[in-house]
Amino acid sequence: MKVALKIWRYDSATGDRALKEYEIDAPDWATLLDCLDIVKDRHDGSLSFRKSCRMMICGSCGMRMDGAAVLACKTRMYDIAQAGRVPVISAMGNLPILKDLVVDMDPFWSKFKAMWPWLEPGYDRPEDGREYRISQQRMNVVHKESLCINCGCCVSECNAMESDPEFLGPQALAKGMRFVGDPRDAATVERLERYNSEHGVWDCTRCYFCNERCPKGVDPRDAIAKLGAESIRLGIDRDMGAKHAKWFVRSSETTGWLREEELIPKTQGYVSAIKQLKFGYSLAKHGKVRPVPIPHTAKDVNEARNLRKLVREQDRGGALGHVQGEHALAKLEHGHAGESLEEIYARPGAAPRPWLPEVEEEPSA
Amino acid sequence: MIAKHDVLVVGAGCAGMRAAIEAFDAGADVAMISKIHPTRSHSGAAEGGINAALGNASEDNPEIHAYDTVKGSDYLGDQDAIEILCEEAPADVYQLENWGAVFSRTEDGRIAQRPFGAAGAPRTAYAADITGHVLVQVLWEQVCKRDIPTYEEYFAWQLVENDGRCQGVVCWDLLEGGLKTIGAKTVILATGGAGRLYTGTTNAYSCTGDGMSMALRAGLGLKDMEMMQFHPTTLAPTGVLITEGCRGEGAFLLNKDGERFLKRYAPNTMELASRDVISRAEQMEIDAGRGVDGNVLLDLRHLGAERIIERLPGSRELAMTFLGVDPIYDPIPVRPGAHYHMGGVATDVWGQTELTGLYAAGECACVSVHGANRLGGNALMETITFGKRAGSHAAEWALSHTTVDVPDSVERDAERDLTALLERTDGERPWSIRDELASSMHENFGVFRRERQMEQQGKVVAGLRDRYQRVVVEDKGEVFNTDLTQAIELDFLLDLAECMVVAGIERKESRGAHARPDDYPVRDDENFLQHTIVHLVDGSPQLSWEPVRMTKWQPQERKY
Repeated sequence: MKVALKIWRYDSATGDRALKEYEIDAPDWATLLDCLDIVKDRHDGSLSFRKSCRMMICGSCGMRMDGAAVLACKTRMYDIAQAGRVPVISAMGNLPILKDLVVDMDPFWSKFKAMWPWLEPGYDRPEDGREYRISQQRMNVVHKESLCINCGCCVSECNAMESDPEFLGPQALAKGMRFVGDPRDAATVERLERYNSEHGVWDCTRCYFCNERCPKGVDPRDAIAKLGAESIRLGIDRDMGAKHAKWFVRSSETTGWLREEELIPKTQGYVSAIKQLKFGYSLAKHGKVRPVPIPHTAKDVNEARNLRKLVREQDRGGALGHVQGEHALAKLEHGHAGESLEEIYARPGAAPRPWLPEVEEEPSA
Repeated sequence: MIAKHDVLVVGAGCAGMRAAIEAFDAGADVAMISKIHPTRSHSGAAEGGINAALGNASEDNPEIHAYDTVKGSDYLGDQDAIEILCEEAPADVYQLENWGAVFSRTEDGRIAQRPFGAAGAPRTAYAADITGHVLVQVLWEQVCKRDIPTYEEYFAWQLVENDGRCQGVVCWDLLEGGLKTIGAKTVILATGGAGRLYTGTTNAYSCTGDGMSMALRAGLGLKDMEMMQFHPTTLAPTGVLITEGCRGEGAFLLNKDGERFLKRYAPNTMELASRDVISRAEQMEIDAGRGVDGNVLLDLRHLGAERIIERLPGSRELAMTFLGVDPIYDPIPVRPGAHYHMGGVATDVWGQTELTGLYAAGECACVSVHGANRLGGNALMETITFGKRAGSHAAEWALSHTTVDVPDSVERDAERDLTALLERTDGERPWSIRDELASSMHENFGVFRRERQMEQQGKVVAGLRDRYQRVVVEDKGEVFNTDLTQAIELDFLLDLAECMVVAGIERKESRGAHARPDDYPVRDDENFLQHTIVHLVDGSPQLSWEPVRMTKWQPQERKY
């Protein structure tokens, strides 16, 4: 197939930047990475990009295609080429570009390292010198986080990091959750205190771009939500973000509706709320909030209260609850209808049913 | 010389990181060099698991593990090394778990273990089908905890040999450009395999046998280089790996008629025979016209959606991404692909090579625990156990010796070679040589080997070597010049291809991965129960033989 690509070239030594177009012949099965290889081999040896495993596990080839982060090795080009699209390939966002599609990963790794990214087992070692005894269900809490390949696609797309480059970011926070959720780790409180500081858990703007762009299903935003839930469960709730979240719950279980007038004092404190009266007045003037709140209780408040009761009684307030919900959703999303094996074998165009041949004498290897 | 260390580890996959951690804990000043970031290492692509006789799934012990490994090696494995591996494996795996490795769990919360090929018990500890990834992550975490310095994206090019010792490494700095020499009292090579010698390979682009070639050029012997393992289940066309764990979980291999053809080749173990046996069986089915477009079928349908999603999610993702096949509904077309080099730099059981101060561990080394055929799950285990042992011995040696001396001439010579390569403007770019090398190795030195083809391959490689003398690097820049490093990698690969062909022709028998169906179809213990050793003498490979180290197992006929 013919594939056309536009690639943002950049040379940090000279500062030259240019969008160059390449047209190549590629096999139908080619991925974006294969196409870049062809460009480098046959058209321009000076094109630089990282690559290694070409099977979505090493995390080297994160880059942007048409402005969205992808793993080049996971991106099949057939449909794009057939549609006549000429995608623009550029380096990942939120990280300094060194050359062409190669970014400086140092800021990425320094945030990673700021998470204490190792197990802190404390003194609680297995007595028999063997492994810790942990149920699979308990380990499932960190399943998605442990899929992370550090490719940087989430960081590339992070809106919060774009406005605050010091924000720890989706990858580092997901790594943090990988330890907070691990029953072998004895430093949960210290970790959460650290992750709750400025540029931490509550600075995420919840745009969900990280979830959308992660090529491995880590869902970093969900990991951040789990860190938030665990923080509140353990009483680490000084941050305005935590207070904000708590007020939502409190408000919905008491009256069943969101009492916005109380949101600011409950989140930011009364002094701050008084300072914002002028802003509140302006909101009221434009009809954004009612000037005088009318106290009432929502008709179906019991539903909210029962739900809250269930979460509390079953101890699903922290990360475990999130994970159970995720598992339930995942089952719906795997795209299989639970057919029987007979039904699968009988599908149109199915491969032949397996059978065992009769063998008379034993052959040798 | 920009720095010096007690222990310098080249390569930062499982073996390299494990060695660095051990050397650090022994009190040495240790650093790692890696041409890619440690977590990008190809150890992370290991899928199925790591073998240790933990006995979590059934009765097991290190002795059975050792016997299985000896038999699997077609009796070419060095039995003292195999016994050490199997003895130390359980504690080494518990260590990884205690560090935080996210293993899958049994009902009672222990590390889960699954059956693997040619193993007498379900011995392969696993983390779904991303075991290598999980181990690379946990080792990297431990490296971060110790703050072990890593020269990331430093491309190791030449070993520094001075005064009869290895005293450092000359590298090309990918990020900033320029040659950088790092001195060291001991150097541990942990650079992995050389699967890029083949078109269809499970190996990453970075698996170009750098360490083996550097050692060869420093005058060291490479052992059993003809022993390249072909993995039975790789995806066409590029060779992406589908784990043996699929068969461990019960998947079938079918020919185009749906026949479980292994009944005719390995009636007792069927899909769980050893890899060499299955790869040959597949190739014979394909050659006999019973394949499907050059593949056989890996059928997971009867495992059911739930088990596939829980235990083999990565394999499903690979099949869906690269072939558009969902294994819940359709079998995955697979074929043998180059996977693992049993051969490598000859070492003793502490990773020491012939050259004082130089060690090797992991796939680039040949201890030899895998002999002529490696069992699935034993490679990760080898990286951990022998990485640890090399790290410990190297640290001990370094802490009892003081000086590092790298003569200026070393860097000057390297600079001169580099300038010659970079200044050449008229000639051939490396990619066509690289592609021809890989396709000809596939054709002439694959699952089955024939005298005529191997001799032909010797000529092909010599011709490619000639062309390489006039190779041109198009990128003349300093920053992230992969055009340069890829050219050097090709040079490494050409060295290794030469060694493989020489050893392959002279091993006139069929043993493990080295199958010669036409002229020497059976194993010949009388003449060839020996390792091949290839040295470079005056620029050309010279073969010698070395006895297998035997302890308690005598060769027997090998049936599965």
